[in-house]
Amino acid sequence: SGELYCSLLNPRNVRFESINMKNVLHWSAPEGTGNGVLYKVKYSVYGVGKWIRKTECRNINRTWCDLSSETSDHEEQYYASVRAFLNGMFSDWVETTRFNPLTDTKIDPPMVSVSSTDKSISIVLTAPEKWKRSPEEESISLLQVYPGLQYNVSVLNKKTKKRWFFSISNHTLVVPWLEPETAYCVSAQIHVTTPILDSGFSKEYCIATLKDK
Amino acid sequence: TAGNKILHFGACRVSMSMTEIRAGFTAIKANIQARDPIRSLSILSHPHSLHKVNSSDRCCMTHHLFKFYVDKVFKHCKTEDSYVNRKISSIANSFLSMKRKLGQCHEQNQCVCGQESTEKFKQILANYEGLNVTSAAMKSLGELDILLDWME
Repeated sequence: SGELYCSLLNPRNVRFESINMKNVLHWSAPEGTGNGVLYKVKYSVYGVGKWIRKTECRNINRTWCDLSSETSDHEEQYYASVRAFLNGMFSDWVETTRFNPLTDTKIDPPMVSVSSTDKSISIVLTAPEKWKRSPEEESISLLQVYPGLQYNVSVLNKKTKKRWFFSISNHTLVVPWLEPETAYCVSAQIHVTTPILDSGFSKEYCIATLKDK
Repeated sequence: TAGNKILHFGACRVSMSMTEIRAGFTAIKANIQARDPIRSLSILSHPHSLHKVNSSDRCCMTHHLFKFYVDKVFKHCKTEDSYVNRKISSIANSFLSMKRKLGQCHEQNQCVCGQESTEKFKQILANYEGLNVTSAAMKSLGELDILLDWME
């Protein structure tokens, strides 16, 4: 006689969401399931293939799991997989596509600090740091991870609405020959040439040039 | 052309259309990698990572790998999808021209092969020959970003 086989629908949209190499696995609950569904997560290094259970994400009811620590070597590539279970029923394991931390992460805009004289403004840009396990751990700037990292800088004259764009590899920029006692607003973006990665633009930082000496 | 980059391999300097290759691969990466169900084996990155190749062997290793992709990979990667096939042949053409440029360096003895690159490349061939040709070629193509990440 046929054996009654109850299985749960699969988790959906299983994927990594990564910002500055903080790599978090996300998924959506199986269709039509309310509360009470639990999940377990495993991951593997591509080319090694051994699946490793993520113990902190066993029997969880949330739909994300931070795998930053397990995927911190950005010279490797990874897969992760999720299974749902409810009242003794369970789904298939559902895998991500192959995750390459180097090319599949998003980068935050740079930090921008500005100062001014009467006829110029000085801009200092700082690239975000790669995710790290704890504050005590040594910081790694994304500049070290992406040697081809550049900055696109926009400078707006608030009075004339004239805007300049600069593309620089250096992290400092002095914009000369400006008008005294005028407000200028600066915004910057990170542009990595290889692999191709762009951050969004930072918010605007405005400063006024000083009175003419 | 736009996106060309001069890569330095010791005395050998080669201009490469990296941005074009990257864009082409990114467009088909998910499609190609989905055709490779084998998680436990990598052609390029295990057991030896390309990232451990020392700098004096970089030129020779790169030359070996271009020859490998041109001679053993692209020609075995036909798919039923014409868009994917076009992207593959565009990448293949770029590799062909880069292989020629590196070949010139090789002939001028600016691309010396040391023990390490020879051993590492043997391992890559062994990984490749451990699978049937189509699976090995498709897996190699799916690992193109590993090669590009290492080269750059």
